[in-house]
Amino acid sequence: MRPELERLALIESQLLHGPAALPAADWHLHQLLDGELHADTVAQQHLYAGLQMAGRRQLRRELAAIHAQLYAARPGGWVRKLYQFLGWLRG
Amino acid sequence: MVPSPQLPTFSPAALLREDLLANRERALTQLYRQAFPVVRRYVGNHGGTPHDAQDVFHDALVLLYEQAVAGTLVLTASASTYLVGISRNLWHHEQRRRARLPQDALPDDPSQLAAEPSAPAESGFTVLEYVERLGEKCRNILLSFYYFQQPLTDIAATHGYRTVRSATVQKFKCLERLRQSVRAAVTPEAIHY
Repeated sequence: MRPELERLALIESQLLHGPAALPAADWHLHQLLDGELHADTVAQQHLYAGLQMAGRRQLRRELAAIHAQLYAARPGGWVRKLYQFLGWLRG
Repeated sequence: MVPSPQLPTFSPAALLREDLLANRERALTQLYRQAFPVVRRYVGNHGGTPHDAQDVFHDALVLLYEQAVAGTLVLTASASTYLVGISRNLWHHEQRRRARLPQDALPDDPSQLAAEPSAPAESGFTVLEYVERLGEKCRNILLSFYYFQQPLTDIAATHGYRTVRSATVQKFKCLERLRQSVRAAVTPEAIHY
């Protein structure tokens, strides 16, 4: 991966406690040696928080679609089928 | 005698997690069918509207989903019973919140509304907006991985990547794109959600 992407992966590993996460002392040392690391980490945390909110919004949209699919009044829906069935029973 | 192989045993919460990750729409629809009628009846019998019932039920499902995929869900009853329980608690909480609030009916004079200042969020920047502005592929990959917790193997298959490695690289490219658009727009201190 490009160095920029490797950097994202490094920060992600630390923030999401991935298998490549460094011990706290090592991470602190990284931050001392790399003046922009702290700011980049904070920025990446903001991205994850935004993705979390976007994901919730997406899930709510999916739930609204499921609700509409299950409960929206449709012509030719179960009520009509019930009347058809009752009519069939009456002969 | 050869010992029989140990079959893996899954807890109900682990099985639910598997179902949600394998086919989210199907699993959620099944939960919806089982639990929503009970919630709608409960909320209706306790002073709420069908819309209130839908709101609390969606909140409960979001909570359940997040707990299930994170592996923090503990089920001592069926998932639908759990959903009904959460929904009841959320509805009680909402009723208490409404009771605490002063009258929130619309004013008789609509011009009073126009005189109120507009919401400050409208002019503010949000990361959320930039997620929405990403291309569909990047948005899907990022949300699938970071929110819906889909395994990268599934994401690779869905988006036609031959290896998990390729999907991983694409995921970071998408994250970089999001970061760049956010960075171009605002300093981190000014970010709102």
